[in-house]
Amino acid sequence: MFGAFRPTQPSFVGLLWKTPWKLSRTRKANVRARLKRVDSVIEAVKESGVQCAALTKALELPKEHEMPPRDKYTVFSRHAKGYRKGIHKVPKWTRMTLRTNPKGF
Amino acid sequence: MFTAAASLRSCASSSAKAQCRSLATSAASSTAQSSTSEPLTHYRITLRRSAISLPQNIKGTLEALGIHRRLQTVYHRHTPDIAGKILTVKELVTVENVPESAVRTKWEQRQERKAPRGYSVTGSKLQVDL
Repeated sequence: MFGAFRPTQPSFVGLLWKTPWKLSRTRKANVRARLKRVDSVIEAVKESGVQCAALTKALELPKEHEMPPRDKYTVFSRHAKGYRKGIHKVPKWTRMTLRTNPKGF
Repeated sequence: MFTAAASLRSCASSSAKAQCRSLATSAASSTAQSSTSEPLTHYRITLRRSAISLPQNIKGTLEALGIHRRLQTVYHRHTPDIAGKILTVKELVTVENVPESAVRTKWEQRQERKAPRGYSVTGSKLQVDL
């Protein structure tokens, strides 16, 4: 039952990586820090006084403090139960813009 | 002392470069001072996150900004095209608005990072009066 030879999934099938279905408290804190950093970049570009289409588009994004926790830590997925999956299941999720989701989901 | 004087003289000779190493060590405070009077005209863009395995358009945007490696800092004027490029890679960079005087070329940034050359004699044990 215990010890190095206990029958666990990794010992039976070899290479097995599991992704937790929700983010830990620390990872959620890191998500918020990253969102704030991106907000500061948009804010800096806004303060420069330049006007462009990309800026108006970026200003339409909700800021970190305006986002509900649901949107911060999960994303829409049409395959997942309840149409939501953890945001950490998205490839490259720490370097992508995943702030908005379809209305009603 | 001699080496310091020499470096000052060389900096004075290349006053177009303007930012002498000894002055540049207090660059942060100088920008803070000048931000009140001088208009902010440039973006200081630093790449924090790598674009490895991100789409080609994002990698290409970094190249277009003149950024080739992580933690590299570049300066660009406030223009709509640069603003758009920054917003394309907003997850990867940090951006500050700085005045013209804070702009450094690659060479100047390198000089600022360097430790001062030479040494200065602060005293001699031979000349201590007993």
